[in-house]
Amino acid sequence: MSGAAPKSILRVLATLLAPMACAVGAPSITGRVLAPDGKGIADAVVFVQAPADGAKMPDGVVPMATMDQIEKTFVPGLLPIVVGTTVRFPNHDQIHHHVYSFSRTKTFELPLYKGTDAPPVLFDKVGVVKVGCNIHDWMSAIILVLPTPYFAQTDADGRFTLADLPRGEYSVVAWHERSKSKPEDTAQSITVGSGPTIEANFTLTLGPVRTRPAVRGSRREP
Amino acid sequence: MSWWARRNLRTKIFLAFSSLILAVLLATLGFTQLVVSRDAKRTLSRELLTTGQVFLDLMRERAARLKSNSVLLASDFGLKRVIATYDPETLASAALSYQERIGVELFWITDESGVLLTVSQQKADVPRSIASFPPVHEALRTQQPASAIAEVNGTLFQVVAVPVFGPDVIGFLVLGHVIDDALATRLKEETGSDISFVTDTRVFASSLPGRKRGLAMASGQRRAQLLRASTRTSLLLDVGNERYMSLAVPIEAHVARPLYALVQGSYDRALAPLYALQLRIAGIGAAALAIALLVGMGLAGGIIRPVRTLVAGMHEVLKGNLRYRSKIEREDELGFLAHSFNEMVGGLEEREHIKDTFGRFVSRDVAAAVLDGRVPLQGERREVSILFQDIRGFTALSAQLDPATLLRVLNQFFTEVVAAVESEGGVVKQFTGDGVMALFGAPQSRADHCERAVRAALGIVSRLDRLNVQLAQQGVPALAIGIGIHVGEVIAGLIGPDERVEYGVVGEPVNLASRIESLTKATRAVVLVSKEIADRLGPEFSLGRTSELPVRGRSQPVEVVEVLPRRSVAARREDGASPSSTSSMR
Repeated sequence: MSGAAPKSILRVLATLLAPMACAVGAPSITGRVLAPDGKGIADAVVFVQAPADGAKMPDGVVPMATMDQIEKTFVPGLLPIVVGTTVRFPNHDQIHHHVYSFSRTKTFELPLYKGTDAPPVLFDKVGVVKVGCNIHDWMSAIILVLPTPYFAQTDADGRFTLADLPRGEYSVVAWHERSKSKPEDTAQSITVGSGPTIEANFTLTLGPVRTRPAVRGSRREP
Repeated sequence: MSWWARRNLRTKIFLAFSSLILAVLLATLGFTQLVVSRDAKRTLSRELLTTGQVFLDLMRERAARLKSNSVLLASDFGLKRVIATYDPETLASAALSYQERIGVELFWITDESGVLLTVSQQKADVPRSIASFPPVHEALRTQQPASAIAEVNGTLFQVVAVPVFGPDVIGFLVLGHVIDDALATRLKEETGSDISFVTDTRVFASSLPGRKRGLAMASGQRRAQLLRASTRTSLLLDVGNERYMSLAVPIEAHVARPLYALVQGSYDRALAPLYALQLRIAGIGAAALAIALLVGMGLAGGIIRPVRTLVAGMHEVLKGNLRYRSKIEREDELGFLAHSFNEMVGGLEEREHIKDTFGRFVSRDVAAAVLDGRVPLQGERREVSILFQDIRGFTALSAQLDPATLLRVLNQFFTEVVAAVESEGGVVKQFTGDGVMALFGAPQSRADHCERAVRAALGIVSRLDRLNVQLAQQGVPALAIGIGIHVGEVIAGLIGPDERVEYGVVGEPVNLASRIESLTKATRAVVLVSKEIADRLGPEFSLGRTSELPVRGRSQPVEVVEVLPRRSVAARREDGASPSSTSSMR
């Protein structure tokens, strides 16, 4: 899952950000998210907290994203989006799913449905949204609603690239589901100038992996 | 004599019976008490151990049931939706509804960090965050259901904390069953033993009723001992006025002091059958005692009555009634005793009869001496006085009188002779037709046999005087007699063949006595004694003439002395003659 997710996200981002990139030029921030022992952390998200100097967000774009349900699994398991994104939840299984979230950021429910016609859900508040399926306790995913469209998900080595940033000074932070520190505590102020690439690394300490009864008891049906 | 020996037979038998039965009764009661109480204690202890185990299982099962119910409830999507509202009013009202539905006394909902969202018990004074409340703390740490026994506002609860996933933890359900007297009572119904939930300082809940509840822990020292004891050791505690076998089962709980389940069974109630049994045994014992006493008294009567009869018979015999015969007829030892008694008395009577009969023919003294075995079989030498008496002119008399008269006169005369001889302790040894031979000093030895013999002779003379008066009235001529007495050593013993054996004496003195008697005719003396006799007489006797007379068969003459009858003495005094003067008979 982790292999497929970054690619699709990159694909989506590329689609979304291509016009901006063309307009502003293409300086980027690249680096790694590392554990204290120096190992890269996968599935972390590095994002720009707020544009500096009142840098404006692009207007007139209604971002869209998709969280699929394939073989009783949410795909991708982690979906970072910019606030205001509408997410679709197509069901590609032959059975019903009942997608919900009780997160304070976004509480929603798509009662039992099949197929790909479920109404899309608008995520209009920044925060973490944990998504589940009422009839499959082990199905779980996170939609990370971010304040800016400048974010990147780390690969298996913890590498990320924030591309096509307009010039300016940014507060860049790193987030991970199990990170012991709040994202704002990881903030790095980075000024993006005319230089080609800015190197920035983040270090996160992760909490233990929590095994939930629902996950532990999950059985993939054949 | 000991106290026991002084009691009569009836009392002894009575006491022996009672003591025996009492001893058996007491031994039975004691033994039963020992065995049953030990058994009851053992059984009770075993039951308590089982109950303790069952109790723990029940508690675990209750916790497991509560947990599984809570887990099911926590996965209820409706509940998750309600929690997601985070609206206190809604949550409170929903909690009440769920609490009713699942039937628990405590129902709390917290958010994912352990902050209370609602409290089912309105009055409860609970801090907003219960993250440190033991099961919640555990569930927060592990994200797993956790259960514990914990105290909430002074009441014990069996509590479970279950995370609610949506899909990550969005909160915790905290559900609890109260541990109160009602629960203890239900547990008692299931296990059969009283159960109390206690620490060393307080009783949280108990199945013991009312006053006993507070006493469940008994005194401090005993309680401390019980709580220190191993979980397999039960002790007797006094609860109120009842003894309880008690076992302390430690319970893992989050309370200030160690919590125990005090499993108790009434020892007294366990012993109730024993008491009933003992009462019955005592009853049976009392009845047995009563019956045994009656039987004993009957038996004692049966033994004592014949014994008393025998004792009375013995008294009769001692009084001389040898005709007495016991009328006891039984086959046992007492029958034998009575029979032997009768035989013995019969023997005595026969002996007496023999003595009587024997005495007709021989002297009573001889008979007695023979019967008593005082006569040596081999014979003996002893000194005796021999008295011979003869009727003078008997031949003429026998021609004069008809035979019947003659025999009557003779018998009258001999009766007097025998009486006179026997009154002096002599024995009439022989009747010689018209005379007798009598012995003094044999078989019964007498020191003064000489004087006795002379006194007997004088007795015969005086008796004859009275007899002659009577005979004169009958027209029978007076009898005249002569008596000769001598003393000397003879051989005495049983003489004759076996079937005719008789006591007799032989020797020269016997012949001489006879010769002296025959001298009376010539000397016209009535009583003539030898010099040897005369020498031994005391002053009371009056001696007459002394003569030396030739005797047939002896070369030397014999010196004889006349003894004067008392009448003659009196007569002579009247004549002025000296009684002691001696003169020749010739």
